[in-house]
Amino acid sequence: MSVALAFYLVGLAISIAGNSVSGSSALLRSVASRLFVPWMAPAWLDLGFDDPLTSGTPEDGDHRLELRSHTAASDPIRLPGELAGERAARWRRLARGIALAHADDAAAGLAAGIGRGSFARCGNEDVIVRVLRTPLADRVGPPRPPRLEQVYAARVRRVDGDLQLIELGGGARRSELAPLLPSPVSARDRDGAEDAVGASP
Amino acid sequence: MTAIVQSQPAQAEGRLTEAVGRTWMRFWFTPADTRPLAAVRILAGLLGLVLAGSYAGDLETWFGPGGMIPLDGPEGWVGTRVPSLFALARSTVILWALFGLLLAALVAVTLGLGGRLACVAAAALWASLLARGPVLAGPADDCLAVLLWCLVVGPASARWSIDGLLRGRRGLPTAGHSVWARVALGLVRVHVAAITLAVLLAQLKGDSWWDGTAAWWLAARPGSATHGLTRVYRGSEYLMNLVTHAIVAFEVVFAGGLWFAATRRLVARAGLVAWPLIGVLAGEPCWGLAMAIFCVAAVFPTEAADYTFHRYGTVGIQGPATDTVSPRSPG
Repeated sequence: MSVALAFYLVGLAISIAGNSVSGSSALLRSVASRLFVPWMAPAWLDLGFDDPLTSGTPEDGDHRLELRSHTAASDPIRLPGELAGERAARWRRLARGIALAHADDAAAGLAAGIGRGSFARCGNEDVIVRVLRTPLADRVGPPRPPRLEQVYAARVRRVDGDLQLIELGGGARRSELAPLLPSPVSARDRDGAEDAVGASP
Repeated sequence: MTAIVQSQPAQAEGRLTEAVGRTWMRFWFTPADTRPLAAVRILAGLLGLVLAGSYAGDLETWFGPGGMIPLDGPEGWVGTRVPSLFALARSTVILWALFGLLLAALVAVTLGLGGRLACVAAAALWASLLARGPVLAGPADDCLAVLLWCLVVGPASARWSIDGLLRGRRGLPTAGHSVWARVALGLVRVHVAAITLAVLLAQLKGDSWWDGTAAWWLAARPGSATHGLTRVYRGSEYLMNLVTHAIVAFEVVFAGGLWFAATRRLVARAGLVAWPLIGVLAGEPCWGLAMAIFCVAAVFPTEAADYTFHRYGTVGIQGPATDTVSPRSPG
């Protein structure tokens, strides 16, 4: 029992050290991935717990999602909107997740998923997904009314079963029309075609 | 003479090893009262229902077929590729069935029905729900997962539970003190100290917790429950600094004070009040409540006053109608 406890405590220490936002060493990553992650991650115990509550950066601002049809002139859907409590906090985390992942492909993945999931809501398979942020109020100077700034924007649409994402705005990384997710049917067709090519003499 | 000189370091080393071993055994294996664990169980179950309830309104929007967080995306789409039971939900019916199971397990944990099985089900399903959409999970969710797994270890439904009532009616004994309760409570204490330390280290990496402005940034979020404090902070920079430094000081004292018998219960009691307050200030009230639930494990005395520890594995078993604890354990 003592050995099991000691082993778990080492795992806890390594998961905290290894999941820090500052990154972790190759040694810790290697040890964690071999000994601890396989059973701690599915149990949701492979955590860093390193939430500073605030760091005074723009990322601490209030994030929200805006979804609207690209073609039809309709009112945008804002999330969390009038929701409150933990339910609203989850929508804010989702929006913030895109804002924080803006520098890599994860943002595009998340935005595409949100866009696809909102096709029915927007009544259109061509939607604009925007992440808006209300910056933190400045401590110096007179109080100002909160203003929204755009952190991320993308157009998500489905064409011939394929999901496409085009990032909009100045910092766009995917400003060209790019098929992001092939539909399961077309992906199978493609695989089948490749198999057929591979099988041919 | 030489022999004596050489044996002194060896003796000191032996004493140190013995002291460390004794402390380890006392911390982990002295049978503990099962009531604090029952209190943690009830509170964690209630918090779990609140947190799981916050998923209910958008469950299909997020995880349903064609939902916003689909399973067939590229790597990084849903964070780490952690196995999730909710990933098996390819239809709305299965999704709601799994979610219903989670709620039922959390109700069972709260009521103390089903013993460890209910705790295992609640912990596994909760971890699965979080793994299905990591981007939606917050610090309170992480803490709840830890709490539920800690409950799996100990006899959490021995007291203040339907299981306990049923055992009493059948005339079966109830575990008043248990080694496993000690292990579970010890794990709760280790985790809350580790979480506090991790939060503290993360804070001290940023300037705002050093220059005393963190309290401002906490209150300045639009929609924050404490947004009104910004007006007060504008009027008094010292107050803002004081609040910031008080949070850090509390965390330092809390993480350290939990490990000394003289201060443990005091800091745990302070935690019952301070963590929810910090949670409200930080805009994470559920996280503050989760941290307070961790404190419950250290608030109450867990050992019988007349208990003398003999060896690992001893468990005090008492009859169903009495709260007294047998000081001499069987075996």
